[in-house]
Amino acid sequence: MTTPPRVLVIIPAHNEEESLPGTLAEVRSKAPGVDILIVDDGSRDETSRVAREHGVPVVRHPVNLGVGGALQTGFRFAYERGYDVGVQLDADGQHDPAYLGILLAPVLDGRCDVSIGSRYVESTGYKAPLNRRLGMLLFSGVVKAALGQTITDTTSGFRAYNRAVMNVCRHDFPKDFPDAPLLIAFARRGFRLLEVPVVMRERVAGQSFYTLGKQLYYPYKNLLASLMALIRRPV
Amino acid sequence: MEFLSRTQVVVAVGAVLLAAYVLDLVRRRRLSEEYSLLWVLATAVIAVLGFSTPLLLWITRVLGMMGAASTVFAFGLAFAVAMLLYLSIKLSRLGFENHTLTRDLALLRHELDELRSRTGGEESR
Repeated sequence: MTTPPRVLVIIPAHNEEESLPGTLAEVRSKAPGVDILIVDDGSRDETSRVAREHGVPVVRHPVNLGVGGALQTGFRFAYERGYDVGVQLDADGQHDPAYLGILLAPVLDGRCDVSIGSRYVESTGYKAPLNRRLGMLLFSGVVKAALGQTITDTTSGFRAYNRAVMNVCRHDFPKDFPDAPLLIAFARRGFRLLEVPVVMRERVAGQSFYTLGKQLYYPYKNLLASLMALIRRPV
Repeated sequence: MEFLSRTQVVVAVGAVLLAAYVLDLVRRRRLSEEYSLLWVLATAVIAVLGFSTPLLLWITRVLGMMGAASTVFAFGLAFAVAMLLYLSIKLSRLGFENHTLTRDLALLRHELDELRSRTGGEESR
């Protein structure tokens, strides 16, 4: 008899005091077996206090590091405390914890090392704005060209990682936009990626990590980082 | 040897002042030895080019420059580019180190909170 796998849901949160209670309650009710960690990424609001009031452990960055920096903290926490699987989940209510089971299954079964909750594997009715759609098409193509594997939703922030992957992520994780280049780097290290269909919702409150400046910087950074992930020797 | 030209005097005074300032910054620990290197080298190059007109003219000819002034500007620009690139590299590394430290601090503080709450103490924040 083996012990059940320990799963940690890592929720990076930057000024998410409004959406956090709903998200936490939903994870608790729809996925009662998992642990939760809030990584408060230098919020100026009461994010940390709200999380603590809900009895959830909080790791608080004194300054804002960006979503990737927050996730890396989460992976370090998860790895150091012996978790078998880490899940990244947005604080803003975009990701429905009802899909945690579907997301976790292939990682727990050992069918893949990273599972990606994807909006596009099946038509789930999600309509992104044009610039997002173009970006997704572009980076889906980049990943396809780099790996020969089709990942339709490279920007999905709803993913599960096994322990071996978290061991890499705790040392090496992009500080922003952990999307296509990260997936390419994973595959180059021999990790298997698998997309599972999920339905995503509109964000409940708070503001997105992606401001206009970042939207313009995104394609440059991720094209370059994808190329580097492809030619860099995996360490 | 002829009298120094006006340009040479200006260059000499400028180079000496800059070198003195850079070294003084090192003395007062406001500039690390490491960062002073590029500045000292630049000062030396300015001084040599400013003083040795034959050398300057020779370099101008070898590089195919339009005039001696262009050569001086080219060296100055090359130095500025080298310095900026060097600083960008340092800045990237500082940012990376900063992130690691921030992460460590956050995780340690969390552990401190855990320990304190286990012993019935106050949370740090």
